[in-house]
Amino acid sequence: MDFDALISGLDRHTLDGITRGSIYALVALGYTMVYGVMKLINFAHSEVFMVGTWTVLGVYTVLGATSGMGVGAVIGATVLALLAAMLASAGTALAVERIAYRPLRKKGAPPLIFLITGIGCSLVLVETFGQVLKAFFGPPFGRVTVNVPSVIETKVVFTIPGLDLPVTNTRLLIIIGAIVMMVALDTFVNKSRLGRGVRAVAQDPDTASLMGVNQERVIMLVFVLGGAMAGVAALLFTVQYDITKFDIGFIIGIKAFTAAVLGGIGNLRGALVGGLLLGVVEVYASQIWDSSWTDVTAFIVLVLVLMFRPTGLLGESLGKARA
Amino acid sequence: MLLEMKDAVLSYGKIEALHGISVHVEEGEVVSLIGANGAGKTSTMRALSGVRGLSAGSVVFDGQDVTKMRADQRLRKGLVLCPEGRGIFPGMTVTENLNMGAYTRKDKSAIDEDYDRVFDLFPRLLERKKQIAGTMSGGEQQMLAIGRALMSRPKLLMLDEPSMGLAPMLIQQIFDIITEISQQGTTILVVEQNAKQALSRSDRAYVLETGNIVKTGTGPELLDDPSVREAYLGVA
Repeated sequence: MDFDALISGLDRHTLDGITRGSIYALVALGYTMVYGVMKLINFAHSEVFMVGTWTVLGVYTVLGATSGMGVGAVIGATVLALLAAMLASAGTALAVERIAYRPLRKKGAPPLIFLITGIGCSLVLVETFGQVLKAFFGPPFGRVTVNVPSVIETKVVFTIPGLDLPVTNTRLLIIIGAIVMMVALDTFVNKSRLGRGVRAVAQDPDTASLMGVNQERVIMLVFVLGGAMAGVAALLFTVQYDITKFDIGFIIGIKAFTAAVLGGIGNLRGALVGGLLLGVVEVYASQIWDSSWTDVTAFIVLVLVLMFRPTGLLGESLGKARA
Repeated sequence: MLLEMKDAVLSYGKIEALHGISVHVEEGEVVSLIGANGAGKTSTMRALSGVRGLSAGSVVFDGQDVTKMRADQRLRKGLVLCPEGRGIFPGMTVTENLNMGAYTRKDKSAIDEDYDRVFDLFPRLLERKKQIAGTMSGGEQQMLAIGRALMSRPKLLMLDEPSMGLAPMLIQQIFDIITEISQQGTTILVVEQNAKQALSRSDRAYVLETGNIVKTGTGPELLDDPSVREAYLGVA
């Protein structure tokens, strides 16, 4: 155990953890919103994120974007990649809902069937990128890690005075991007008419339909919103880590799920709190022990939360308390 | 005829809750449906509002067959249910709950009129506008539920056990308001265990027993009916 390493670089590790946690938090939103309205853990959500990362790679490849372009070109390529990733991820999420979940819902299938179906969808998507697309198009598809061009060159933008902590443009983009998306989503759910419909379905689906809320529409909406957030997360992830892989969704997905549970699944602000906390805890753990402990620590945290506070830090529910 | 349900059968799995009942409501009427616990009153309401689909029979509302429509589609036609156990959104404020009643509407000025009307009927709600609904008393929650239903501008307002769990004085007050709503021109179908209140306020009524309509008549007729008096009014 090496607490000195942690203490000596505490500011740096905290910033590192927040960066990581921002991405978890964005992905966690998808789990938490779908759970809020359907009481379902959508295990295919990790692949919604994965599709987003490949979309970013696709856009960069088509545009021929690389590092060292002019500022205008960098911004243009990044924005295009962002929009494409949001669209692709939202589309994937919607397709999963339409093709897999909706027919089950119409038949009134028990909850366990939904879970297994979600895992099935996840495997299908993973193997599509690991196997099927490779058979048709060859590399970069396949079972290896692929580099995504680091279009944005990492630069130190400013140094936090007093701490002597350098902050890079990529970290800044990730943290601010995640917070902006979170605030936008939170405002939408709490202030808009459609958002009120989402909260109503989360609190009481039957009564919501008696108010004229179309439940199917609300379900589609949460899949699309959750998917779009995963798309944003995908772009930010490639900005920071410059890679993707056919099974990259698995570990990010399970971490984001942990973050959602940690914050209180069904609770949007909980996803933010849980994501950031998990990110920071992981980085601290990797300093105290070594980086092989990162994942172990994350899941120990999950188990502890489930044992001692099953409703998470901020408590369950998209629309606050259930009567 | 504003509403006509014919030979309605409703099942929960293998258990049949309604065995082919027929109910109708004319425009401007107050009609009540009385019966003991488990007679099928709430099932009838669920079938009429579209929360539950029928396995046989039909529902026609305002000249249109709505049998296959979902609850949210029926609401848009003006068929509004104020559900049993109040069914307010506990995590929302009073205002947000009322807003939910107007969820499908876009006629801003008419919505404002309806707010005034609801606050007129229930001054209590005006005082408590910003309160979280789950923290209000049972009577206040019932008022909110009725107010919210009115925000949907019902052609037919269906009320499922509005007196449930309320003190006698409050029951009296709630029924006074129901009568007032009816006088303002809204047709009403009310389901009640409190047969005395319901019958004395209704133009017509149905008696429901174990999923069948066993009796029907005007309110006064049923109030005088010996078997009804014995079974539901507690007098021999």
